[in-house]
Amino acid sequence: MSDYLLEMHDITKDFNGVKAIDGIHLQVRRGECVGLCGENGAGKSTLMKVLSAVYPYGTWSGQILWEGKELKARNIRETEEAGIVIIHQELMMVPHLTVAENIFLGSEPRNKAGFIDYDLMNAQAEKLMARLKMSDINVALPVYNYSGGKQQLVEIAKALNKNAKLLILDEPTSALTTSETRTLLDLIKEFKANGMACVYISHKLDEVAEIADTVTVIRDGTHIGTQPMAELDTNKIITMMVGREMKNLFPREAHTIGEVVFEAKNISCWDVTNRERKVVDNVSFELRKGEILGVAGLVGAGRTELACKLFGCWNGDHEGKIFLEGKEISVRAPRDAVRLGICMVPEDRKRHGIVPLMGVGYNITMSVLKRYTSGGFIQSEAELAEIQNQIIRMKVKTAEPLLPIASLSGGNQQKAVVAKMLLPEPKVLILDEPTRGIDVGAKYEIYKLIFELAKQGVAVLMISSEMPEVLGISDRVLVMGEGKLRGNFVNEGLTQEKVLAAAIGQPITEAA
Amino acid sequence: MTLTKKDVRKFLSEYKIVALLIVIVIIWAFFGYLTYDSELGGSQFLTPRNFSNLLRQMAITGMLASAMVFVIVAGEIDLSVGSLLGLLGGIAAVMDVTYSLPLWQTITVVIAMGLFFGLMVGWLTAYLGIPSFIVTLGGQLAFRGMVLGLTGGITIAPVHPELKFIGQGYLPELAGNAGGVLLFLVLVFLAFRTRSNRQKHNLSVPTMPAEVGRLLFAGLIILGFVLTLNDYQGVPVPVLVLLIILAVFTVIGNKTTFGRHIYAVGSNMEATRLSGVNVAYVKMMVFALMGLMCAFAGLTTTARLAAGTPSAGFGNELDAIASCFIGGTSMRGGVGSVSGALVGAVIMASLDNGMSMMGIDTFWQQIVKGIILVAAVYMDIVSSGNQRG
Repeated sequence: MSDYLLEMHDITKDFNGVKAIDGIHLQVRRGECVGLCGENGAGKSTLMKVLSAVYPYGTWSGQILWEGKELKARNIRETEEAGIVIIHQELMMVPHLTVAENIFLGSEPRNKAGFIDYDLMNAQAEKLMARLKMSDINVALPVYNYSGGKQQLVEIAKALNKNAKLLILDEPTSALTTSETRTLLDLIKEFKANGMACVYISHKLDEVAEIADTVTVIRDGTHIGTQPMAELDTNKIITMMVGREMKNLFPREAHTIGEVVFEAKNISCWDVTNRERKVVDNVSFELRKGEILGVAGLVGAGRTELACKLFGCWNGDHEGKIFLEGKEISVRAPRDAVRLGICMVPEDRKRHGIVPLMGVGYNITMSVLKRYTSGGFIQSEAELAEIQNQIIRMKVKTAEPLLPIASLSGGNQQKAVVAKMLLPEPKVLILDEPTRGIDVGAKYEIYKLIFELAKQGVAVLMISSEMPEVLGISDRVLVMGEGKLRGNFVNEGLTQEKVLAAAIGQPITEAA
Repeated sequence: MTLTKKDVRKFLSEYKIVALLIVIVIIWAFFGYLTYDSELGGSQFLTPRNFSNLLRQMAITGMLASAMVFVIVAGEIDLSVGSLLGLLGGIAAVMDVTYSLPLWQTITVVIAMGLFFGLMVGWLTAYLGIPSFIVTLGGQLAFRGMVLGLTGGITIAPVHPELKFIGQGYLPELAGNAGGVLLFLVLVFLAFRTRSNRQKHNLSVPTMPAEVGRLLFAGLIILGFVLTLNDYQGVPVPVLVLLIILAVFTVIGNKTTFGRHIYAVGSNMEATRLSGVNVAYVKMMVFALMGLMCAFAGLTTTARLAAGTPSAGFGNELDAIASCFIGGTSMRGGVGSVSGALVGAVIMASLDNGMSMMGIDTFWQQIVKGIILVAAVYMDIVSSGNQRG
C-alpha cells in the first residue's frame, strides 16, 4: 500500500516525433502541495494535460497510479470523477451566467419535473462560498460583476463541488492583486490541513516557496529534480530551472538620458461601459530620450488605460494633449501612433499581441509590410531575409520562420511581438507587462533588449506589476493609484515599500 | 518507409488541395463509370464536350467563390451576393435590351454599381459595426426587391450578340493555344526569378531537377487543359475570365499587403489593429471586391441566358459559400485559399452535372450536395485534428 495519492511514472509524450516531455515523475501525498516549476515550454502544461486526460490514455507512454490503482482515463470527465480537478491559467467562466450557474455548470441539480432547481442550487452555492469565506458574493448575480480574483475563487468553489481530492492550479495568481493572492494562498493552506492535495504551478517562486512541501523542477521536457522545499530556496529553484546560475536578474547597463522627447498633459479616460467613471484622472508626465520610465501600481490603477490612450486604442471617452519632440500630435488610431514613432507591446498577448494562425515571421513584419513591397507586390524573399534576421536577433526559438505563432511558447511569442513593435523603429516604446507569464530566461533577454534600446536613444515606458522588475530596470518610476498619478520618483534608493505606499495612497512616512 | 495513419493525415492537412483533387478524380471516375454507354462508344461524362460544359457551369459560382473566400477569411459572411448578381445582371439586360447602349457602357456601369454596393455593405459592416450577417441578409431582400422592380417581374430579352459572347463565346483555337504557351512561359519566368531572388538573400532553393520537373508537370496540365477544350469548341470565355480572376486573386492573397492583412484581420482583428493596420478599411475593401465579382457574375449570367430574369442568381450565395468550405476555408476566419474554393466549385459542379446526366431528380441532387458539404467540412476537421468533445 503506497502512501501516495498520485504517482506518475516515466511519462513521455511526443508530438509528431518531437518529445514534449520525456520520462517525467511526479508524486503527490494526501494533504501535500507539490510546486511544479519550469520555464515556459518546459513541459508543465503537457504533463498536466496528460494527468487530466486532455491527452487520453494511450496517446502517451508511462503509468499513472491514482490511489494505488492504475488510471486509464479517456477524457476530462473521467479524471474529474476520480477527483482530479484542474484550474487553468485563463479563467473558464461563462460571464453572463450567475455565480451559482457557473459553479453547477454541467451538474445542475434538478427537481422532479426535470427543471433546474434554482433554490437548491443557490443555497448550495452559498454554502460553498461560505466555506471559502466569500459570503459577500451574491451567487445569483452574473459572474462578470466580480473581479478576476473573486472569479478565481468561484473556479475553486466549482472544484470543491466536484469533490476534488487533487487540485491542480496553473499560474493561479497571474491576474490577481496582492490581497487576492493572499486570500488564495491562505485558502490552499487550509485545504492542505483538511487533507486535500494540490499541484501548484507558478513562475512566482516566493509563492511556491511559501506554500509547497515538495518542489519538482522540469526543464526542456526532462525531470531535473524533486526535493523537499525545506532543502531549497528560490535561488536554488531558479538554478535548477535554467540550468545555470542566475546571479544578476537585471542586467543594468549605463545609458545616457537626453532631452524630453514625449510629453503627456492632463490625460483623462473614462470607462467604456460606465461612462461616468474616470479610469485615468488628469495624468501628466514627461519622457526623455534614452530614459526607462517604469509605471507601478496595483491592478486597476489605470495604467493600461493610460497606455491605450497614448497609443490611440482607448475606446471610451478621453481627453488630454500629447506632444512628441515638442509638437502636439493627434493619435486617433494605433496606425497614427506607429506612423509617428510610438509603438506599444500590449498586456494581453493572446488577445492583442499575436495573430495566432499566421506564421511567426508574418507576425513580425505586420507593422512594416509596406517596406518589403515593390510596385505594390510583396517581395517575399526580401521579407523572409528580414524575418530571419529578426528571429536571430531576438533569439526566437522556432523550428521554421513561418510556423504558426500559436504553436510557440509564451516567451517566444512575446519576443516576436516585441520584434514586431521594434521594426517601425519607434522613438517611444510602451511596454505593458512585457514579462507577464514568461520564463526567467526570456525575461532576462527582454531586459537586456530594453537597455540596448535605451542606449540607442529610445524612450521606454514600462508598465509592470512586478515591483522588483520596476525597481531593477527603471531610471524613474511613476506610481499610479485609482487613475491618479500618485508619485514620480527618481529610482535612487527607492524601495518597494515606498512605491507601494504611494500606490495605495498613504502619506509617505520616512521610517528610520 | 511505412506510411502510418498519422503521416497520411499530416500530408493531407498540409496539401489540402491535393486531397481535394483526389476527391475530384474519384467523382469523375464514378460518374465516368456510371455514364458508360457501349452503343455510343464510351463514357458520356468524360468527354471534351461535357468537360467544357462543366467548366462553364461552374464559372459563375467560381467568380463569386473567389471573392467569398476573402470575405470568410476576414471573418465575415455575405448572403447578399445572389441577389446582387441578379440586380447587376438585370441592370445589364435593361441597358443592353431596352436602351441598346454600347457594350462598353453597360460593362462600365455594371462594374461601377457592383463596386458601389460592395463598398456600401462593407461600410455598414466595418465602419458602423453592423454584423455582416445582418447587413447582407438585409441586402439579400433589398437587392432582390430592386431586381423585381427594375424588370417588372418579367424576362428582358434578347440581348445583343456582343454581350452574349461574354457568356457563351469560345476563344478561337489559335488564341487558346497561344494563351496556354504564354501562361507556361510566365510560370517559367516566375519560377526562375523566385530562384534567383532567394539565392540573392541566401535562402534555400529546390534542386534544379525538382524545379524543372515541377514546371514540366504544370506544363502538361496546361497542355491537356487547352487541347481538351480545343477538341470541343475552344476555351469558353467565362472560363478564361475565371482563370484570370484566379491568378489575380491568388496574387492579391499572397503577394500584397492588402491580402496579408485580410488573413491577419480574420485570425485576430484586435492584434492586427494594434499593429497599426487600418482594419476597417481592409474589411470594407473585401466587400468591395465581392461587389466587383457580383458584377462579373451578373454580366456572365445575363450573357449566358441571353436575357435578364428576375430570378437570376437565386441561391447562388449558398453555392459560393459551400464551395469555399468544401475548399478548406475555415469558418472561424484566417484560413482559406482562392484555388481551394475553385476546386470546391468544381466538385459542386461535377456533382450537379453528373447527376443531371444520369437523370437523377433535382431534389436528390440537393440532398446529395447538402450531405457532401457537411461531410467535406467534417473531413477537414478530422484532418486538422480540431475535434471537439
